Amino acid sequence: MSAAVETGWIGRSLERREDARLLTGRGEYLADVRVSDCLHVCFVRSSHAHARIKDIRLDAALEIPGVVGAITGAELSREIQGQKIPVLIPAFPAKYRQYWPLAVDEVYWHGEPLAAIVAKDKYVAEDAAAAVEIDYEPLPVVTDAEVALREDSPRVYDDWDSNEIFGTSYTGGFEADQIAKNDAEVEALFAQADVVLRQRFRTQRCGVCPIETRGALAIWSETDGLTVHLTTQRPHIERLALADLLELSTAEVRVVAPRDQGGGFGVKAPFYREHVVVCHLARKLGRPVRWIETREEHLMTVSQERDQIHDLEIAADREGRILALRNRGIGDVGDGRQGVYWGFVMPSLGSVMLPNAYGIRHADIKLRCAVTNKACMSPSRSFGALPTRFALERGLDMLARKLGLETAALKRRNLVTEFPFISVTGVHHDSGNYVKAWDKLVESVDLPGFRALQEEARASGRYIGIGFACGAEFSGIPSDVLVPLENQPGYGVVTMRIDPRGKIAIHEGDAPQGQSHETTMAQVAADAFGIHPDDVSVRHGDTGTTPLSSGTIGARGASYTVAAIAEAAAALKAKMARYMIHDHGLEGATADDFSFRGGAVIYEKDGNIRREFAALADRIVMGSINLPAGEDPGLEHTAYFEAPKPMICFTAQAAKVEVDIETGQFTILDYATCEDVGTVINPIVVEGQVQGGVVQGMSNAMFEEFLYDENGQQLTADFENYRLASAADVPNVTVGHSPTPCPDHPLGVRAVGEGRPGPVPGALANAICDALAPFGVESTTLPLKPEMILALIEAGRAGNGG
Amino acid sequence: MARPTARKELIGQSSDPRVPVSMTVNGERVEREVSPRMLLSDFIRHELRLTGTHVGCEHGVCGCCTVIIDGKAGRSCLAFAVQADGADIRTIESVAAPDGSLHPVQQAFRECHGLQCGYCTPGFVMSIVDYLEDNPDPDLSEDAIREVLSGNLCRCTGYKNIVAAFRRSAELMRGSR
Repeated sequence: MSAAVETGWIGRSLERREDARLLTGRGEYLADVRVSDCLHVCFVRSSHAHARIKDIRLDAALEIPGVVGAITGAELSREIQGQKIPVLIPAFPAKYRQYWPLAVDEVYWHGEPLAAIVAKDKYVAEDAAAAVEIDYEPLPVVTDAEVALREDSPRVYDDWDSNEIFGTSYTGGFEADQIAKNDAEVEALFAQADVVLRQRFRTQRCGVCPIETRGALAIWSETDGLTVHLTTQRPHIERLALADLLELSTAEVRVVAPRDQGGGFGVKAPFYREHVVVCHLARKLGRPVRWIETREEHLMTVSQERDQIHDLEIAADREGRILALRNRGIGDVGDGRQGVYWGFVMPSLGSVMLPNAYGIRHADIKLRCAVTNKACMSPSRSFGALPTRFALERGLDMLARKLGLETAALKRRNLVTEFPFISVTGVHHDSGNYVKAWDKLVESVDLPGFRALQEEARASGRYIGIGFACGAEFSGIPSDVLVPLENQPGYGVVTMRIDPRGKIAIHEGDAPQGQSHETTMAQVAADAFGIHPDDVSVRHGDTGTTPLSSGTIGARGASYTVAAIAEAAAALKAKMARYMIHDHGLEGATADDFSFRGGAVIYEKDGNIRREFAALADRIVMGSINLPAGEDPGLEHTAYFEAPKPMICFTAQAAKVEVDIETGQFTILDYATCEDVGTVINPIVVEGQVQGGVVQGMSNAMFEEFLYDENGQQLTADFENYRLASAADVPNVTVGHSPTPCPDHPLGVRAVGEGRPGPVPGALANAICDALAPFGVESTTLPLKPEMILALIEAGRAGNGG
Repeated sequence: MARPTARKELIGQSSDPRVPVSMTVNGERVEREVSPRMLLSDFIRHELRLTGTHVGCEHGVCGCCTVIIDGKAGRSCLAFAVQADGADIRTIESVAAPDGSLHPVQQAFRECHGLQCGYCTPGFVMSIVDYLEDNPDPDLSEDAIREVLSGNLCRCTGYKNIVAAFRRSAELMRGSR
């Protein structure tokens, strides 16, 4: 046994287990998986945003030496099932359009794959893809969701009666009369309100593209069927879908998410059409086939989220108490054909999350989602909620300005204070102390001091400002939410195995992409058993060896999966205690009488009765005679965790900026957060999640924007035109804590993986508008580009009479 | 599936000419015959099987593929293997000591949690190793460090811990001089 430490692995900034290999070039990413005789796939993608495919000629491509074959959508559609299968469809009433992974007859967005080339290497495959000749008949294009929702708009799908793929009300109830009654009540509150704020907010199309692109490596074997290595956050769901689409038995399909994945952030959570093509080609050719996405393909097809418009109305009293909200949202979901999310699940959840964190009792919230001739919206961290957060946090600041109140005070006044709290849209806020976290944040930024500085600065022609925002984000997604949302289970599950040498293996069906599971989950198990984390291994992502779970999504790791580890450990400790009671004749003793520490199991009432942890494991696993009555041998347990209701993790954030009024450029002077994350397993990992999430929010807010021209041509498919924040573009983020242990989690943990980017655009824009208050500037769109800010300053100057 | 006609003998063969290249990679002489259009990044990853050098964009922005070419950090995705003929190249696999102990830059990244998914990390490490070898007493102000790091993109960390790792690297390297 390694140097045993008493207890207390939880809460330590342990250096990461993953780092030794990642720092020395020995990571195990998808593109590093090597199989002999592997062929390479290149997709031929549409150069039109909407067109009929009149002809595809492959002859020239097939003449290129090294090309093994080519397949078109028409051929593929005769050989595999269409993508509209139950495992990939949410439970909402929406228009789920059947489609095949390669376009048949018609293309609907610039970049849609319509043929695939297989060749000996990617150079030849790319040559051949370029040699494919396609005749298109261009069709009318619609790239604006608001236009798409008009009666007279061109249709993306000519057999649909409108471009609306999904629309619903999130308030009042499910029946039309309930909704109408609620709407009327909300309207009455608006009529009586001291003040009403009405504003349109728009967030641009952007997302959190990971630095590693997507890919797949499929291997077909006559005896074992399909083994496919995939970049994915949800290997078990991929396996079910691939089996159904390829009409294989699930016994013949094994999906392996690589041990290391280069980021995901939601982008690797959907079921993508390219995967099934690669698998089908491997089966057809009987040879390994690989596809590694290029960055251009990636930026043309995925990582595109956020694209929403919100017409928000807030009714309030003179003190800034929110009386009611009304919101009409529009989501631009692109072509709306993508397994699991179909483009609209993100904006839908965004509307559900809109009132989060604030104690808003009355609201009328509705959403309409339109298909357009753009790539399908795919998820990004802060799933669907960044746009609604921007709208609400900006709207509340505008309200405060209208009322002449300090925005931090107005927001504080409206925070949820009594728990559990169910929001108007039904989001269960389990527990926490939001006001305490808020106060700690506001204190940390010295608001009165800053206001004094601001006055001085203005007197000397400098414009500095402060902005606040907050978020209440899911800490894992319970089955209560995930089954209706995505037809998938929310439970956390692990299989834990203790071997005769006292080493623990944890098998996890999720597929992390940088979240440090190998380290933090080992800490949790080591803490429970009183052994060293080096004696715990964590394996994930292989459907052949792990229990079915819905994947690394929605901050499930530290919430649900860690909770399952705690429960598995408790079950195995109880079993080990029963063996101790039996072997040592401790009649009347219970599991609580034993402690696991220092690599031993100790009877607390008589310290002489103790066994080395490994010796007891050996006795139970290998010495399977003289068993306690009714007891099985072996030390293996699969535990499922389900919180009774959703758990929530609160974050409060503040930005300080300085704006140059001559150029519209701004500098972030300081950015601070205060987090209510409950029990912290590994502080440096938690801080890393917050840092990274906040900077993703900054990058989204400041730089990133997918642009399409009026013909639907995507103009931003490289990192020169789709710009990510570099180190020089962003400041240090100061992370504060105000923890309230989560009572529904066995260790009190709240997970931080999902929501951190969401409040950032609101906090930044609020700070900019606060700085520019003398000009009456109110920014309502993203990204926060200098030219936009300058135009607002100039408009403000003109409005002020120069 | 559409297949090539009457060219079955060519399946598995590209018509690209083959050009001999030789270079020193991580202290070892390597000689290969490659297509003149093979990228240096592919040469390193596929021919030499040194998969620690990653590819993130293949257009020279993200910096994942950074290696040290003749003593200068460069993008291996922006060069052809044949352009590196005769060059001395160092990749991430050469950075730790032969006994496996981490280089100060690697050690600093580990201590400071300067990586999460690790995909961009080899590029950052190579950029910083190169920079600190050339600038043993670097300007450790926040702005200066962030400027040095601005040629590599990271999506996970938010950069703060990479800045800290840079500072710690400089400290460790000074200590070991």
